Amino acid sequence: MKILLVEDEAALRDSIIAYFTEEGNICETAENYAAALTKINIYNYDCIVLDLTLPDGDGMEILRKLKQLHKTDGVLIISARHSLDDKLSGLNLGADDYLVKPFHLSELKARVSAIVRRKSFDGNNLIVFQEINIDTLAMRTTVGQNNINLTKKEYDLLVYFIANQRKVITKSALAEHLWGDEIDLSDHFDFIYTHIKNLRKKLLEAGCNDYIKSMYGVGYKFSS
Amino acid sequence: MKLAQKYNRVNLFTSLIILVLSGAVYYFAIHYILTNKLDNDLKIEEQEILASVHEYHKLPLPSDFKDQKVSYHELKKGDTADRSFSNTWYNNPEEKETEPGRSLNTSVKLGEKEYAVTITKSSLEAEDLVRLIFLITLGIIVLLLISLIAVNRFVLNSLWRPFYEILKQLKAFNLADKNEFSVQHTQVDEFQELNQSVISMSNRVRQDYKELKTFTDNASHEMMTPLAVINSKLDTLIQTEALTDKQGELIEDVYLAVNKLSRLNQSLLLLAKIENNLIKDEEDIALDVLLAQKLRQFHELFVANEIEVEKQLEPQQLHMSKYLADILLNNLINNAIRHNRQKGMIKIELHAGELTVSNTGLPKALDSYHVFERFYKENSSEGTGLGLAITQQICNLYHYKLSYSYQEPHHIFTLKFYQDH
Repeated sequence: MKILLVEDEAALRDSIIAYFTEEGNICETAENYAAALTKINIYNYDCIVLDLTLPDGDGMEILRKLKQLHKTDGVLIISARHSLDDKLSGLNLGADDYLVKPFHLSELKARVSAIVRRKSFDGNNLIVFQEINIDTLAMRTTVGQNNINLTKKEYDLLVYFIANQRKVITKSALAEHLWGDEIDLSDHFDFIYTHIKNLRKKLLEAGCNDYIKSMYGVGYKFSS
Repeated sequence: MKLAQKYNRVNLFTSLIILVLSGAVYYFAIHYILTNKLDNDLKIEEQEILASVHEYHKLPLPSDFKDQKVSYHELKKGDTADRSFSNTWYNNPEEKETEPGRSLNTSVKLGEKEYAVTITKSSLEAEDLVRLIFLITLGIIVLLLISLIAVNRFVLNSLWRPFYEILKQLKAFNLADKNEFSVQHTQVDEFQELNQSVISMSNRVRQDYKELKTFTDNASHEMMTPLAVINSKLDTLIQTEALTDKQGELIEDVYLAVNKLSRLNQSLLLLAKIENNLIKDEEDIALDVLLAQKLRQFHELFVANEIEVEKQLEPQQLHMSKYLADILLNNLINNAIRHNRQKGMIKIELHAGELTVSNTGLPKALDSYHVFERFYKENSSEGTGLGLAITQQICNLYHYKLSYSYQEPHHIFTLKFYQDH
């Protein structure tokens, strides 16, 4: 997928690029409003990751510009502003999602993947990882020929894992993804262990390889 | 007491005193002048008598003129008659009445004999005059007081109208509203000045408010960005292949600290936002429905902690921000879970405009005075210490009453929605 990252903070930009750049992903960056504007005028992206607070302009303006140009690029806003107004006006202006800083790179990746999947023209609602097939419209998971029945949490977990395959994902990132930041799980990170255990068990029973690896102290890694 | 009323009272009181005093002064001054005039008349009469005695060497006849009577009587040897004026009574022979009078006692020598002479004049006319003047004065007093009251009531009211107008607008002043003050034009300098001051003050306050809002946003941005950098660097760091278990544990701790810091920062910003009334999206909320939904969300957490939940929810409508309602309930429920014990219980009741959340926990009452303070924490608490402060702030915003009590073995938080009573 082709991604444009509009972010003025160099350190954050580097981390995101490093996390995203891998097989088949093209990741371009714009460090300010002017550069971003030039790029969206020339190219099309699957997803634009947009910081709202730029040194030389308001990120919201880029959204307006995209609308004017009739572009269908997916847009994910990343903002330090935890403000309902910003969120609503961003979404109203055509952004697909809104992520508040600070966030986990794995969460960003999962959200971008979801946007790209929704936006793709060929009706691609399939997620494939080795023998695992997920139909995101029907929310149906199959391993080879076998249907597996996943709970909502297990399903979310699996999609999240696949979006962040070959990456180490922290427990807190998983917890935040599954329960949001409403429920304060800071004392209960081990709580997600149950869900992972169940997911692994169901996958194994359906004849799937064991892709979930526990990384001691840190979290989990999903890889073949 | 209203200013006009107070001013009226003082005004009327002093007017009354001054008028009564001046009436009295008037009375005595006129009385004095008229008495003086009478005395002069009496002296003239005396001189006429003395002149007549001198000329004719006999006493004039005791006579009764109009309003005047002269009488003589012989003084015995050794008696003296001092010349003096006195107030006496005068018998009016025509009207057969006794009238107030003024008399002059004097003496006259006729040969060897001395006679005492008493000249008496009626002072009725003078008294009548004084009375008339007094009545007129009284009439003026009454008229003056009535007109003062009328002037105060009607003129003052209309004079003060611009003041009450601006006061009404001040009362309705809301920072978040964009409405400017609409001031009535007034001729009165003071009110013009007041209007201008109010307008410039409101503009200044609005400006400050705007700056505060910008500051809040900036502070959030400035702090969140470094936190986002730390988080992303940690996320990158853990991708390193050769990470040892020990390093993993260290990173885990850093994650927890960063997570806590960003929560703390968000909570502080939220507090500032609520305090400055920056959250405006009020809507009608069915609290019972929202609460039931929350309990479903938290279900897993209850199960994991083996907490038994008992709920009794009656329909309750509230008008508040959905965002804040979420936070309010999250904080109360999170709190009830965090401070609970294993195999404990939580009881949630919503009825008659009152929400109570009670939970088992440490068998010791919390300090109900400090429990809602910022950063108040029991030693064992892992939270930020801001949850209840935020809850309290939300309640203040909507004038709900939040209180804590301890009834063995339950810690009870009670929320009263006064607005429905």
